[in-house]
Amino acid sequence: MAKRDIQEINAGSMADIAFLLLIFFLVTTTMDKDQAYIRNIPKKIEVTTPPIDVEQRNILAIKANNQNQLMVRNEIIGDPDKISEKIVEFYRENEKSNDVNNNSPMYTRVSMKEIEDNIKRIEIEAESLEAQDADAAMIEFKFNQLGEWEKKKNALKLYGANELPEIHFQANIRIEVQSQTQYSLFAKIQTEIEEAIFELRDDEAKRIFGESYGTIKTRYASDEEPADKSKLDLLDILYPARIIEVTPKN
Amino acid sequence: MSKFKKDDGKKLPGVNTASLPDIVFMLLFFFMVATTSKEVDPTVEVDQPTGTKTTDLTPYKQRSEIDFLYLGEPRNPARSVDFKMGYALSLDNVVQPTADELYSTNAVSQWKKDKFEQKPAKMKAPIEAVITCVKADKGAPSGLIFDIRKELQNIDALTIAYAVRDNGNI
Repeated sequence: MAKRDIQEINAGSMADIAFLLLIFFLVTTTMDKDQAYIRNIPKKIEVTTPPIDVEQRNILAIKANNQNQLMVRNEIIGDPDKISEKIVEFYRENEKSNDVNNNSPMYTRVSMKEIEDNIKRIEIEAESLEAQDADAAMIEFKFNQLGEWEKKKNALKLYGANELPEIHFQANIRIEVQSQTQYSLFAKIQTEIEEAIFELRDDEAKRIFGESYGTIKTRYASDEEPADKSKLDLLDILYPARIIEVTPKN
Repeated sequence: MSKFKKDDGKKLPGVNTASLPDIVFMLLFFFMVATTSKEVDPTVEVDQPTGTKTTDLTPYKQRSEIDFLYLGEPRNPARSVDFKMGYALSLDNVVQPTADELYSTNAVSQWKKDKFEQKPAKMKAPIEAVITCVKADKGAPSGLIFDIRKELQNIDALTIAYAVRDNGNI
């Protein structure tokens, strides 16, 4: 029998095909990532009662007018990079001990005993509500409260001190812009807030856990470990970011 | 005796290019993995401001829990006079006027509602959690951002993202 050579396939043009594909992907894709600041919009509700007065010391208002001039806590600021310093001061001033003479929000300090007492009290209340067949929303509200106290209990365990410092529940950062304020300045304010919160949480994370806040956050995003979750919860309780964006009036 | 070989008419063997495709494929796979597909060029000009400590939106994109809208000057300058303060919205490449007294139609909420209803049932996050990402131009007036925000609030789409270009840890 005649032996015939099997002809090899000519692979010379394979490279050309691969190049073609490569160039297609180079052209149609981008390395840029979409980066943004995520914020929540408050739910729309009808209110009949007038809003509760908030003490001036609990408000950190960052105002920007139509001419893109800035004002933080009624003080005109030329350099927008200074905003984050003001925010850090707002959180830090009364953190160690309350001083009625300054203009920063007060801190409350709760001990483990108080937290456990609260948990017991709310549990009893929730049970009695369930026994009475109360409104489902009421029961849910109680359970949410209970969840918050449980979170605080875990946070205090992790914090390692006798008491858990907590900023006044009304303390908030308020962005008040006018309708002609440029978006770049609005975004700059958001950046400064984010930087201040990061700085506060980062210092505390380094002190308690010996690692940076950014490390914990990125690790939690990829592994979702419960240990990291409770660390983040603690930092969130210590330095909550309550941001209010005030709709400009025309 | 000569130390050098004489050219005896043999030709230099060609470089073996058999592994060239492998190299190119390697490059190809790198780019396929490391990049994301470019979105269609919006019909409005958007030059984003920069910022730091931002959130990366890639995970939301992968779960398609995000809708993008663009706010900028129309690429066709003749059209800019038609819009409030010269800025227009681009919703899926359709240029829309921003809400004002001339246009009572609330384009944003309608667009967002349609988008939400078109999503397949199994990847449905509640509408409160579906992010609306506003990509606005540096010079866009904040009033327009709040107009958009208000329309989103009306339909309970309660998560908004303000896009910036991250300039890293500088």
